[in-house]
Amino acid sequence: MEAFIVFFTRYLPAFADGFLITTWVAALAAPTAMIWALVLIIPRLARWKWLTRLVDGYVEIMRNSPLLVQMYLLYFGLPLLGIFWSSIVCGVIAIALQHGAFLSEILRSGIQSLSQRQWEAGSAIGLRRSAVIRLVILPQAFIRVLPALGNQLIVLVKDTSLVSAIGVMDLTLTGKVTIERSGASFEAFIAVAMFYLVLTTVLGLALRVVEVRAARRYG
Amino acid sequence: MFPVLQSSLPYLLQGAVYTIVLSAIVVVFGTILGVGVGVLAAVGGKALRAAVTAYIFVFRGIPVLVVMFLGFYSFPAMGLRLDAYTAVAVSMIVYVAAFVAEATRGAIAAVPAGQLEAAKSLGMRKGMMMREIILPQAMRLLIAPVLNISLMAIKQTSYASIVGAWELSFAAREVVERTLAAFQIFLGVMIIYFVICYPLSLAARALEKRLAFDH
Amino acid sequence: MNPAADLASRGEEIVAINGLRKSFGAIEVLKGIDISVKRGEVVVVLGPSGSGKSTMLRCVNFLETFEQGAITVNGRPVGYKTTGGVRKPVSELENARLREHVGMVFQSYNLFPHRTVLQNVMMGPVKVKGMNAAKARDLAMRLLGKVGMDHKADAYPGRLSGGQQQRVAIARALAMEPSVMLFDEVTSALDPELVGEVLKVMRELAEEGMTMIVVTHEMGFARSVADRVIFMDGGVVVEAGPPADIMANPKTDRFRGFLSRHLSEDG
Repeated sequence: MEAFIVFFTRYLPAFADGFLITTWVAALAAPTAMIWALVLIIPRLARWKWLTRLVDGYVEIMRNSPLLVQMYLLYFGLPLLGIFWSSIVCGVIAIALQHGAFLSEILRSGIQSLSQRQWEAGSAIGLRRSAVIRLVILPQAFIRVLPALGNQLIVLVKDTSLVSAIGVMDLTLTGKVTIERSGASFEAFIAVAMFYLVLTTVLGLALRVVEVRAARRYG
Repeated sequence: MFPVLQSSLPYLLQGAVYTIVLSAIVVVFGTILGVGVGVLAAVGGKALRAAVTAYIFVFRGIPVLVVMFLGFYSFPAMGLRLDAYTAVAVSMIVYVAAFVAEATRGAIAAVPAGQLEAAKSLGMRKGMMMREIILPQAMRLLIAPVLNISLMAIKQTSYASIVGAWELSFAAREVVERTLAAFQIFLGVMIIYFVICYPLSLAARALEKRLAFDH
Repeated sequence: MNPAADLASRGEEIVAINGLRKSFGAIEVLKGIDISVKRGEVVVVLGPSGSGKSTMLRCVNFLETFEQGAITVNGRPVGYKTTGGVRKPVSELENARLREHVGMVFQSYNLFPHRTVLQNVMMGPVKVKGMNAAKARDLAMRLLGKVGMDHKADAYPGRLSGGQQQRVAIARALAMEPSVMLFDEVTSALDPELVGEVLKVMRELAEEGMTMIVVTHEMGFARSVADRVIFMDGGVVVEAGPPADIMANPKTDRFRGFLSRHLSEDG
């Protein structure tokens, strides 16, 4: 235990940097994924048949193949097209592409769970379809699936650890480097695990507060 | 049309076999361990319940990759000499079991209270009630969630390559480093994963609707 | 049981409830209930919702705990034993043993959905009493015949109507050969056209001399089948007596009001 504390204080600066990078990647990827999810449900709401099928196919591919391989595809593939993005950007985009698909599925299930009457009520007061979607359907669907969206965001935060595989010096890679370069023992990864636990727990609690507030206000 | 993919396909498929074997081991043992832990929490005392809650909380809160690294570096410190493949398998089993345990607790809690009252009224005691009434119904409710967890686990076996275990993703990186054909290879590998995962995905969705009891 | 013993046991007290008090949190739902049920007697408990009648019934086989008072079934204490003035909960085993002698039928049937009709009825005798399967099967088929459900022995409960499920639930409780049967609003969840088939089975049971406590809203059943009607309101017994007396001449405004509301809808 004492050794652990000594070790912790000695490597804390490095871990703090890694923690910031991890938080940064998550903070970039989460809103990007959310915006991408909203884009992905447009074809269905606008009833563009072919585009809807294309999106469905895209979602299936994202759901049924690993994020890591998708990330490799961007990171190793884009330079071949003459596109040189930093590893952080590749990581963020890969995460957003996959989690956007999951988030759009969640939003879709929320929209489907709304009663047809909400659509009818919206058009009955003279709103156009796009206004019904924007003012009536999406806000309600969003509140209904808030817990599922929250869970997905926590998965997203954990998935940021994959950027370590393409060289981003996040918490995970910091742990690995600490062990391999400075001969620290496996406790380095207990420290890494604790940082992640703090991050996901704080996020989880914050999301709970939002959920409870939303439930109290709209429930 | 895709010369590199064609010539390296046998190598990649060999990697896929490793992926499938690793997935099968993780899913089977992770499910057994997870269901066991979940049931234990349901029948056990307060201390046991608290321990299981802590286990689930910790493992659900950290990335599987970190758990893999933790296993990979800590097993030697415990005097266990495991190769990367085994270290990853053991780490993933413990990780997946936490998710299965959580699902098991949920499934047990989802058995309606009326079922327990009916069982009690017949003079059943706790153990028999668990065996005859609760578990058979909970196991059925558990099938779809466990399929979804399995799907997650199969995709996560690709992270084993980061720790240094040879499987499909590792093989893909080797080929790309040699040939630079990133698009062909990684897209091809995504398709191989898709072929493995998609049937499970379909089954999970179909069963979710079919397996609920009409109470 | 030989006829002489049977005769001797008639009039013997099966269920005794004395000074029963129970609270849910700060709200006292049972405020001192005394009820005695003798062998072969059919007691129907009436009362508005929230009167505590279902809670009282659930205390009899200890599905609910209670803070004060005592209940015995066949002279065995329910839930608590008082020795030397100290009230202690009895063991889980003793509660289980007691419940073998108390059959209970629920509003929501609560059949086991993962077992067939026959397996539902056999489960108690085989698993709890250790009866051999062949014997239990005969018993179960006989009881299913009695409730008119032997033709569905191999069906799963999910395939049956509410009335059919409730008849199977009655057979399941009877299979334990209980000393008393408790019915907790067993027709309240049924579509109106299915109520009759369940009441008919209960009526036949009463005629065969089964000891029964029936919580219900069925006034017709109370009037024609009950040996004694108990009217509960606000956690106390307000009136009790033979249906011909008290239902024709209610003494309190509360019971009179209750009757006029329910008889009008009962027709």
